[in-house]
Amino acid sequence: MKLIARDLSAGYGPRSVFENLGVELPAGAFTVIVGPNACGKSTLLRTLARLLPVRHGSVLLDGADIHSLPTREVARRLGVLPQSPLVPEGVTVRDLVGRGRQPHQSWWRQWSDQDSAAVHEAMGQAGVGDLATRAVDQLSGGQRQRVWIAMTLAQQTEALLLDEPTTFLDLAHQVEVLDLLGRMRDDGRTVVAVLHDLNQAARYADHLVAMRDGRVVASGAPREIVTAELVRNVFGLDCVVVPCPVTGAPLVVPA
Amino acid sequence: MRVKGRTVAVSAIILVLLVVAFVVALCLGKPYVAPGDVLRSLFGEVTPYDVVVQRLRLPRVVLAVVVGACFGVAGALIQSVARNPLASPDVVGITQGAGLAATIALTSGAAAVVIAPAALGGGLLAAAVVLGLGARHGLAAQRFVLAGVAVAIALRALTEIVMLTAEPIDGQRAHIWLVGTLAGRGWTETSWLAITLLVLLPVLAWAGWALRTSALDDDTAKGLGVRPVARRAGLAAVGVLLAAMVTAQVGAVDFVALVAPQVARRLVRAERPPLIAAALTGSLLVVLADLAGRLLFAPTQLPAGVITAAIGGPYLLFLLVRRKS
Repeated sequence: MKLIARDLSAGYGPRSVFENLGVELPAGAFTVIVGPNACGKSTLLRTLARLLPVRHGSVLLDGADIHSLPTREVARRLGVLPQSPLVPEGVTVRDLVGRGRQPHQSWWRQWSDQDSAAVHEAMGQAGVGDLATRAVDQLSGGQRQRVWIAMTLAQQTEALLLDEPTTFLDLAHQVEVLDLLGRMRDDGRTVVAVLHDLNQAARYADHLVAMRDGRVVASGAPREIVTAELVRNVFGLDCVVVPCPVTGAPLVVPA
Repeated sequence: MRVKGRTVAVSAIILVLLVVAFVVALCLGKPYVAPGDVLRSLFGEVTPYDVVVQRLRLPRVVLAVVVGACFGVAGALIQSVARNPLASPDVVGITQGAGLAATIALTSGAAAVVIAPAALGGGLLAAAVVLGLGARHGLAAQRFVLAGVAVAIALRALTEIVMLTAEPIDGQRAHIWLVGTLAGRGWTETSWLAITLLVLLPVLAWAGWALRTSALDDDTAKGLGVRPVARRAGLAAVGVLLAAMVTAQVGAVDFVALVAPQVARRLVRAERPPLIAAALTGSLLVVLADLAGRLLFAPTQLPAGVITAAIGGPYLLFLLVRRKS
């Protein structure tokens, strides 16, 4: 599933965050959006996910405008994990993952065997099956993030957008979540995430989008676009780019 | 998820308690009627107690069941939308709106048939003002509750002014109306409320399902294909309609809508009040409150609203103390 933003403008209140922005997110790939604070990367993700209305332009999901499609239909094709979502008090893991089935249900047909199967499968994929009956608000940050990802997996969408899914996690849990997202891409899903850590982005992304001041500065495969010059351009940081000793992906070391 | 086993078990237990309370309420009073005689009379046999059981007590107890259910569901809906256990129709101004409208009608010499529609209109109007103030921020929880409390206080003050400046006898009538009572009420009020509940039944089925996303934040809900503001507005509208309708029929039986949903929520250990358990708990509460009001100071009858308010005060304190720990 391919996402294209055309001539896109969005913002909050009187403030415009970006204008006439164009970006293409390839199907079946893991795309990571990076950039300094306040560059508009989260706003772009929220607009792509129709959490924020567009002011101008359009977001095309396989050619159809996402903001004019029925939101339930979009939710069956595109999952979203917002930044630090609110955990309902006392809700169990299985219960929360079950809410991912919302777009497939209606009030006269609230729960089916298909829903149970999808929840079971999603918990297995995200590795939270053992936690099914635990209260989500009593889990560690890493476990909790995997539960939220399980919820979006239960939604069974072809594409998934995540806003800073690794923020507030320690390093081991960050890697755990990124590995999980990589496996989802291997299953054929289109995965798009906003990440803070450029090195993690370069290691995990198939396609990288670098933003600054509401503009896309560069996009493409990390090995092709991550250079010392780009990092200086985007982050204003002098650095050396060396190949990562484990994967060969570009590794940014501050000079 | 599916309905949990615990929710079903708790609901069943409350239902059994409600049936017991129902029969007990038909037995107790002057004269005392034995349970066997009550049941015989109810199931069509001719007994010497038919007048007491069927004419005097039954309409009132049935009304108590329906009133409690309406308050329980209304409170559960509004508390869920506001994500706040304090947000109930008697805290956020709906009851006070109905009270002000009823007071104006009662003190201006309007015909008796006008009182209930006036109260209904007042309740809905107050809710519209509160929701309008809250809607500017997408019906975000805290603002909505604060706006409601402010509106409730203002309406209460206006009601006092209207009562105090009216003829003493009219003021007295308004005062009696304001404290909700089931005395002298019965089948007429019951049928209005039963019709309301029946008409709203499909809507309530929708509400039970739609509530499942009410505890999620807006972005997460949107991601699941929900329009959260529209959904909150719809759920709140159903709760408001029920609360205004029941208050218009029996006056302000305070705190039932506040207490019943939270008691039910604690019993089933859910993140929000379950609708059916809240309805049953509300029914049980009003049946017991009305029974206590009838018996405690007999032959003087206390309005059910006084008893529920007496329970509600300490409960509010309990909530405040509990929240800190």
